[in-house]
Amino acid sequence: MSTLQLWGQYLPQFLAGLVVSLQLTGAALVLALALGTLLVLARTGRIRILAAIATGYVEVFRAVPVLVLLFTAYYSLAQLGLRLPGFWAGVVALGAFYGTLYGEDMRSGLQSVDPGQREAAVALGLSNGAVMRRVVLPQAFLAFLPPGTNELSNLIKDTSLVLTIGVTDLMFQANAAAAATFQPMDMFLLAGLVYFAFYILLSRILARWELNVQRRRS
Amino acid sequence: MSSDVVVDIQGLTKRFGPRTVFEDISFQVHRSEVVAVIGPSGAGKSTFIRCINYLHPFEAGRIRVLDHELVGGGGPPSKATLRQIRMQVGMAFQTFNLFPHLTALGNVMLGPMETKRVPASEARDKAMALLTSVGLADRAEAYPRRLSGGEQQRVAICRALAMDPEVMLFDEPTSMLDPEMVGEVLGTIRGLAAQGMTLILVTHEMQFAKEVADTVVVMADGRVVETGPARDVLEHPTSERSRTFLTRVLKPLEAAGDGQASGPGATTALGGDHP
Repeated sequence: MSTLQLWGQYLPQFLAGLVVSLQLTGAALVLALALGTLLVLARTGRIRILAAIATGYVEVFRAVPVLVLLFTAYYSLAQLGLRLPGFWAGVVALGAFYGTLYGEDMRSGLQSVDPGQREAAVALGLSNGAVMRRVVLPQAFLAFLPPGTNELSNLIKDTSLVLTIGVTDLMFQANAAAAATFQPMDMFLLAGLVYFAFYILLSRILARWELNVQRRRS
Repeated sequence: MSSDVVVDIQGLTKRFGPRTVFEDISFQVHRSEVVAVIGPSGAGKSTFIRCINYLHPFEAGRIRVLDHELVGGGGPPSKATLRQIRMQVGMAFQTFNLFPHLTALGNVMLGPMETKRVPASEARDKAMALLTSVGLADRAEAYPRRLSGGEQQRVAICRALAMDPEVMLFDEPTSMLDPEMVGEVLGTIRGLAAQGMTLILVTHEMQFAKEVADTVVVMADGRVVETGPARDVLEHPTSERSRTFLTRVLKPLEAAGDGQASGPGATTALGGDHP
């Protein structure tokens, strides 16, 4: 059978795998953004103990390979009696890791806002909440977008690690097809193409969005 | 004390850690009075003017703006007091600090809409009227990045005026501008003075101070070294410290002959002759 025929035969499985990969990406992204927000609030807040915990968390989780986190969430937690399904173990591990990155991106976004902006808003008589909502956050968001979208494309690629704990994502399907057909070259090439196509599509969309936001403000 | 005092400052003292920025500053500003605060760089002028709307806390003394008082030393003032004072005190900054994500119009509308819950249509009308009054009606939809420095500063003044302040503070409003744009901003400030707005401005524009200010306050080394009617202080200073300063800024070329024109204020007087 030719490569193209093989690809045609396995494409449905690959697409089913892609759907799992996307669900994983989406769920992990939501968790990472929520966790990142909490980390920023804790690190910039006034309660010292929370700030220390958040800083410690970021230092540790950022330094550990995602695969270690993944195995910890899947195997180690199960040993402790918390048995997570593979998909959710993947969400937790990826979310826990990317939360630290998103937290740092948000923090540097906030720090990029000129202190004079806050002063001008305060001098107008705006409340602290209004200063954040109307002046600081809209500007911080613009600074957060480029590293934030970069993080997202890395997250998509890192979801392929869940193959190792038996989640039937795109990479898992490629691996299975390679084993069944004895054509690993063709099958992993197809997986790479699907990841690549999706990556290109998403980065184009995000880049266009970024440009739109920026253009609306100039 | 007459009843038309808008700002009353008594014994104001500011320290950054062990360093005293200024000490025991007292003066009053009456309704429609224009006060120019001048003095050498590093005298604490900007820090001083920022204490009036509590952008900086201060260690001792008190500031009363109409019915609201800030007291130094104790805890921070109540949110209500701060809010009242900031709504009554408008400010224009050296670096303009326009909000870059809002148009000129959006910048001017924000204050009233956020603090006084003014409906958008009403805020828009008022903002347009203000922008028109400073000659920027056709720039209303432009974002700050597309505006010149002089235009940005005029929008920033409108943004403060939209709150109907009782007094306007200007913190070196023209020192970041290219020389050809200084005149348009000073013209706007002059217009406010003519309408009877109470103004306190930190400036290096001595000629402007002489023409527009009623009162000049000279700050040096963290103290008020002289205060009085503008023309008297600028033409016949009585304190030795203000004489030295004024010689350097008003006659930089002569002073240069004495090898003394090294002060940062030395060059600014050259741009002093504005319409």
